[in-house]
Amino acid sequence: MSEAFKLQPLEIEEYSLENGLRVVLNKDDAIPVVSVAVYYNVGSRNERPDRTGFAHLFEHMMFQGSENVPKAGHFQFIMKAGGTMNGTTSSERTNYYETLPANQLPLALWLESDRMRSLAVTQENLDNQREAVKEEKRLRYDNQPYGQIFDLINEMIYKNFANAHSTIGSMDHLDQASVEDVQEFFRIYYAPNNAVLVISGSFDVKTVQELVEKYFGDIPKQPLPPELDVSEPDEISNRYRQWEDKLAPFPAFLIGWKIPKRRAPEFNALYLAGKMLYDGDSSRLYQKLVKGDESVIQLFGFTDERRGPSSIFIGAIPKPDKDLSKIRDVIMHEIRDIAENGPDAREMQKVSNQLVNDSVRMRQSSMSRAQHIAEFALYDGDPKLINSELEELLAVTPDQIKAAVAKYLNTDNRALLDVVPAGKG
Amino acid sequence: MSCRQGRVDQTMTSTDFRKTVPEPLAPIAFSVPGAFETKLDNGLRIVIVQDDRFPLVSYRLAFNWGDVNDPADEIGSTSAMASMLNEGTENYSSLQLADEIERLGAHISVHASDDFTVLSASTLSLYSSEILRLAGEIALRPTFPETELDLYRRNTVEHLRFQRSQPGFLANEQAARLVFGEHPYARVSPTAADIEKLTRQELSAAHSRTFRPNNATFIVVGDVDREALLSEINDLFGNWPKADVESGSLSGFADRSGRTLTIVDRPGSAQSNIVLANLAIERKNPDYFPILVMNQVLGAGASSRVFMNLREEKGYTYGAYTRIDAKKLGGDFEATAEVRTAVTGDSLKEFFYELNRIRDEAVPAEELKDAQNFLTGVFPLRAETQEGLTNLIVNQLLYDLPKDYLETYRRNIEAVTVEEVQRVAKEYVRPDEMAIVIVGDAKEIIRQVESYSDSIELFDTEGNPIEHPGQEAAAN
Repeated sequence: MSEAFKLQPLEIEEYSLENGLRVVLNKDDAIPVVSVAVYYNVGSRNERPDRTGFAHLFEHMMFQGSENVPKAGHFQFIMKAGGTMNGTTSSERTNYYETLPANQLPLALWLESDRMRSLAVTQENLDNQREAVKEEKRLRYDNQPYGQIFDLINEMIYKNFANAHSTIGSMDHLDQASVEDVQEFFRIYYAPNNAVLVISGSFDVKTVQELVEKYFGDIPKQPLPPELDVSEPDEISNRYRQWEDKLAPFPAFLIGWKIPKRRAPEFNALYLAGKMLYDGDSSRLYQKLVKGDESVIQLFGFTDERRGPSSIFIGAIPKPDKDLSKIRDVIMHEIRDIAENGPDAREMQKVSNQLVNDSVRMRQSSMSRAQHIAEFALYDGDPKLINSELEELLAVTPDQIKAAVAKYLNTDNRALLDVVPAGKG
Repeated sequence: MSCRQGRVDQTMTSTDFRKTVPEPLAPIAFSVPGAFETKLDNGLRIVIVQDDRFPLVSYRLAFNWGDVNDPADEIGSTSAMASMLNEGTENYSSLQLADEIERLGAHISVHASDDFTVLSASTLSLYSSEILRLAGEIALRPTFPETELDLYRRNTVEHLRFQRSQPGFLANEQAARLVFGEHPYARVSPTAADIEKLTRQELSAAHSRTFRPNNATFIVVGDVDREALLSEINDLFGNWPKADVESGSLSGFADRSGRTLTIVDRPGSAQSNIVLANLAIERKNPDYFPILVMNQVLGAGASSRVFMNLREEKGYTYGAYTRIDAKKLGGDFEATAEVRTAVTGDSLKEFFYELNRIRDEAVPAEELKDAQNFLTGVFPLRAETQEGLTNLIVNQLLYDLPKDYLETYRRNIEAVTVEEVQRVAKEYVRPDEMAIVIVGDAKEIIRQVESYSDSIELFDTEGNPIEHPGQEAAAN
């Protein structure tokens, strides 16, 4: 198995500009392509209780032009150079990225630096992007069956407002936002010393360093944003909510557990336990519920990685007329089995091979390398962790998995959301 | 947006360099690695592309046979056969297969589309022989166990029900029916009744109709030792007997003369899903490249005209696009957006404005150049991962495109002229013959859009015709 396999370490070079911008270079000449990722240390967790949805609205504003780039010019310049780009917002960070033919790197640096130093925050842009965000919310949340369940369960799992509220936020709050609010948000969070710039792909290191200095070097640093408290109280509670979903064709449920922060040994153990429970056709719950009992249409699970308290979810859409509590009993039974007996050797081997495979595939694209490296740089202050991540996960022992599952999953400390179809008929 | 390029003059201050778009660095050449090709005695075509960038291997066993080849009374049989192949073979149960494949951290799946059936496997090169052997087992020795088929039938029926809660599915279902008429492309999905009557014998028959070596290509991309691989392939697939490939005749596409308006009533919808569609081209049509470029100008991306208009200027939607779906035998042109209910009519107005504009006015040279630059520039990006490179090669082989297709792709894009763009827009974007399909809250929508057609067809989400909005479907 995986002992025979040694991952080639990625070439990583890191340094900071005088204004505090952290820069990470990952040179890889396999194909003439380059990716640039800029990660700002701001997400929904930084939002004020009366301004939820702001981090995400702001992500839209970043495509509305800056001193030397016209409104929507960002898309246009990247696309006409043969590139792709986007931005996303999570609880933890807001990221912007582009992938281009390698010789177009100066374009990406020009565009990213111009909006970092001189974003155009105008009333017209704000009004227009508020509408785009509202459409995004209708499309992704309001008009989709089960579209709101993850936001709802986060409110049940987390007690701290910073963790509990949704990234899409409140449309009322967005309506109340003024141009001044947005400008202030920009000044505080979009400073070079609150960001990480990662460049991955085919380039000449010296040329890139000169370009980075030229485009980003004179952007002034700002006082760092206030410290954030994302801690959660210790508690033992079993939370339950029933949610009527007008668009859902079937009942469904979602169970969520609060677990330690990402990269904590217990988080890693639970990440592996999750793979054993719900990842793939040979996973325990797939075999019990989709195959054995034939009781569910769809089974899913995942971990939500955060720098503070994180979470793990297991959900199912059962077949009509199936007893939901019996299905939950099966899930809890498998969890108890891991808590009492731990995973077996074959399961450990399977997870090891899957982890190796995931790591190799992640390294194929310059964009996924840039994004992974940016997370390690921003969250852990060490981009080189990308080279030890796999070993860290492969080092998790069956006993650690057993203990973490017993402590965090086989417990009353969980949230259960029942979705009840409330449409016509 | 004009892109200001030019020479920087002497008087520039320290930040004046920011006012101009930077010049690109020297371009770096890129070419797709060459392919080795051979054929086994039974007609199985083998294509091997050496890709040493990663310790990975990708396999594709692809058949020139798909859902369109379903017998009229066995709709869904090719897809069902494909899905069931890894649910049991002569030497492995469904669980044993899943367990063995996942134990190696690998992946094998089989999927039938309208035109093709493809077995895909990908693995660390460390396990390439084991996965090749399992792929051979799945391809050649499936047993279609009755219990697994029973589960497949029930799960698929539930899945079909679930799909009906998705507005995008409902819109595509109507658009395909209106554009493709009696042709099998009109069917985006089998019905529950089709699935419930499938038998083991039918799946076995579908397997032997589809899995014929002389109608297949075996494609390998990755970090492989070619000689060793060829001998393994010969051991696994050399004794697979060839057989004549049946050919049937298919009905023609819909003969549309005017614009139609179809609304799927989904009371309580927060948005209207709009699809505008008309018949366009098959994949090998010589107009493919001009259409690709025209579509890039019009609506393929976030800097294309319909996105700039409906999202960036009007704020009607999160995204508005056009697309060309060119299948083996034919295809369509579509414009799509999910818009808030109150601006459904206004959105149609803007769509038709853009569809007419690209027909009536020559595309400015710079806009054409931008679209071409995008298409040529993203091409190497698509080959970055091994899966991406494999897909490029598989498409070239399956659609029987010229051997130098990948090499000449960028040149063909660059050769498209302003005149050609306008010609293909006039020929393949046909606002007066389009099927307008809207999924949403009919009582809120009808008045906004009724002027776009002489009559309106209304359906419920089950696909049954209804007389007026909000009407309950007749029991079925």
